[in-house]
Amino acid sequence: MEIRHMLSALWRTRTGPILIAVQIAFALAVLVNVTYMVEQRLTAYSEPTGIDIQNIFWVSTTAYTPDYDQKSALESDLQWLNSLPGVIAASASVTLPQVFWGIGLPFSASADPHAPNEGSRLYMMSARAVETLGLKLASGRTFSPAAVAPVSADVGTALGKWAPEVLITQTLADRVFPNGDALGKNLYVGLVNRSAKVVGIIQTMQGAPITGPFSRWGRQAVIVPINPPGPNGLYLIRTHPGRQAEVMARVEKEFVDRVPGRYVVQIQTLARTAYNTRNGLRTSSIILGVVTLLVLAVSAIGIFGLAVFNVTTRTKQIGTRRAVGARRFHILRYFLVENWLVTTSGVVVGCVLALAGGVIMSRLAQAPRLPLYYLVGGVLFVWALGLLSVLLPARRAADISPAVATRTV
Amino acid sequence: MMLKHDLRLALRSFRRNPILTALTVSAIAAGIGAAMISITLYHARAGHPIWWKEHELFAVTLDARGSDHTGEELMRHPEYPPDQVTYRDAQALYRSDIPKHAVMMYRTARVVDPGKSGVKPFGVTARLTTADFFPMFDTPMRYGSGWGRAADTTPDPIVVLSSRLNDKLFNGANSVGRSITLNDRQFRVIGVADRWLPQPKFYDMTTGAFDVAEDLYMPFGWATELKLSPAGSINCVTPSAKVGGFDSLIDTDCVFMQYWVEIPDTAALRRYQQFVDNYTNNQKQYGRFVRPTNNRLYDVPAWLDRNDVVGDDSRIDVVLAVVFLAVCIVNTVGLMLAKFLGAAPVTGLRRALGASRKHIMHQHLVEVVLLAVIGGAVGVLLARLGLWAIKAMTYVPGPDDGPERRALADALAHMDYSMVVLAIGISILTGILAGLYPAWRIGKAAPASFLKAQ
Repeated sequence: MEIRHMLSALWRTRTGPILIAVQIAFALAVLVNVTYMVEQRLTAYSEPTGIDIQNIFWVSTTAYTPDYDQKSALESDLQWLNSLPGVIAASASVTLPQVFWGIGLPFSASADPHAPNEGSRLYMMSARAVETLGLKLASGRTFSPAAVAPVSADVGTALGKWAPEVLITQTLADRVFPNGDALGKNLYVGLVNRSAKVVGIIQTMQGAPITGPFSRWGRQAVIVPINPPGPNGLYLIRTHPGRQAEVMARVEKEFVDRVPGRYVVQIQTLARTAYNTRNGLRTSSIILGVVTLLVLAVSAIGIFGLAVFNVTTRTKQIGTRRAVGARRFHILRYFLVENWLVTTSGVVVGCVLALAGGVIMSRLAQAPRLPLYYLVGGVLFVWALGLLSVLLPARRAADISPAVATRTV
Repeated sequence: MMLKHDLRLALRSFRRNPILTALTVSAIAAGIGAAMISITLYHARAGHPIWWKEHELFAVTLDARGSDHTGEELMRHPEYPPDQVTYRDAQALYRSDIPKHAVMMYRTARVVDPGKSGVKPFGVTARLTTADFFPMFDTPMRYGSGWGRAADTTPDPIVVLSSRLNDKLFNGANSVGRSITLNDRQFRVIGVADRWLPQPKFYDMTTGAFDVAEDLYMPFGWATELKLSPAGSINCVTPSAKVGGFDSLIDTDCVFMQYWVEIPDTAALRRYQQFVDNYTNNQKQYGRFVRPTNNRLYDVPAWLDRNDVVGDDSRIDVVLAVVFLAVCIVNTVGLMLAKFLGAAPVTGLRRALGASRKHIMHQHLVEVVLLAVIGGAVGVLLARLGLWAIKAMTYVPGPDDGPERRALADALAHMDYSMVVLAIGISILTGILAGLYPAWRIGKAAPASFLKAQ
């Protein structure tokens, strides 16, 4: 092939190709790093939650009179909610799943407060927590009714008293009991110095979508059966599919007046809550994605523009080559290969830029280092993009008639 | 005169090559639009909420952590002390008379009963704070004033309302002297703060750096009097901390309070740091503060930095947008070069007729800068569109969001005049960067080389 001639031709008009190579280099660096970042966000975004999000809604209340009795309110609320037609199960809880705030405590397999411990989200919920959230147990059972601790004065006191049984997620079980024998063991709770028996292991429960080095903490959860204290009330209600709207309307209308001395703060579907929680992930993924598409588009236009320019300025030469025997295929090949050489030189520089960018980004965003297969994928993509961008001008070049050579000489 | 001539030539050149011109303008517009979106978002987060005294206010943090702390190795800055202080440490710090002003405070939740038939009680956030809060943070007052230190200890049944709550309860009228019911107890209004939206809400960012101020302010003594639980972040920092009710919370190593001092001169600041260190060293005899002394005083900019208010996403977006702008500039260089060389015969003719090399360069540079400024103007419009879209994506209106919360959402995606000025600057710079080489290339070519091919 005519690589040597090609290189010499490129060198004679080097400015354009160098500019294109620089663009390719930047485009590759951006493409690879952003894809990796977006991929991390989307993983957290679409990770299975283990929770029947679509069929759950919640209602929160606040009591304002001193004679409000949380114990009787809770009992009657739960009984009423669980008896409504269309409801699978309802539970009271101190905190919501699928939000970033909540309660976290250190947990350990040993009673020694200085033993290694593992931080985990804590959900303080009434008896039917598993059914209400729609969780699947990998092993064990749900709480026995006798294990549910009664209402305390406030959350701190309730934590201090604790309860005899807990459920933990598989992710936490694997961390605290690496031998896989968590079921039936005692789980020690730091800061409150209590322990409880692990009676069941939850397959999956994602408390919140977290990216980066803390992502594991989004999937580590402990559910402890404690009837939540007042004056704030929070109830999660799971309905049969398709009946949410009807149950929600009824709760919104009748709930507040069931118990005097309180008001409804908010009522919302858990699906909406989960969606709001993911606002940041969604927006940043979209911004990153749009910028990357723009970078790629501008680079493709650049390649296309240079090729069109080259074809125009070389019309006579192409005609001459065709006149002396080059076939259309040769002309097409010439432009494709020439472009490939330019793209590749950009790719080489781009690989260095991409890796440097990866180091900077991992330091900036505290994310793991860029895996190399992203780079391989990026290089293949940029090669393909380069060839596609040049295809049209190259075909136009191949269409130039040999007769052109005879015209303006 | 010459500039006018150059501009006319530039316009003629645009007309001759409308597609290439449009392509260039859109590339520059996209680049500047993306850059302005990311810089605006960054700028809005990197605010100076109290710039007039930001180097005189200090957040006080003490390293009360036990020897081991869960997940510390995963933190970006494990060396930072916790961002809040414990109740008893705040009490001890408050005894110092070195600071001009000192404030200990936290956030709690209360219920207001408007006492009117048909109007239901509703929840509010309240800041339990000592008296210096108002003079220290220069809280603007619409009516009345804050309270004196004596009212903290009694404590007096008085409150300062936000204008938001005053609007809701009293339709914005002067409510000083009126009383309100907070969970069955009467409080007298002694002041109403004017609309106040420091961004970031630097004095307490535990519920989000961009949040509205609390609905009302109460003297600190009510904390223990009514045993008011914090409605913010509570972090127990030693393994021996005991979680329990309010009485155990104020007696253990759980941090939940913000502590700020105002110290205008550096000598006093040194003395204060010494005072704080002496205090924690002294506490070591009770088995507390087991780590090497690590108490840090942050002025406001350092505090915003310590809490990473700007955030990774904003920084990444800026880096990415600048890279994209660079790609657009490189692209423009290529397009301009092609365009100028395409029109080279005309340029050659002008050279042959006596235009100087310098003039040719000048003329082409003016053309590119003009393109860049047009691109920049389109870019600013694109940026406004993009910011609007981003706001629509991120701001979810709550059930009772007042104008303040909407104002906050607007402010986070607001392009102020300084940003527009910056956009013009970036456009001109873009034009010069993109035009310099093509203009030089076309300027240095000998006129004959263009003419002979005709």
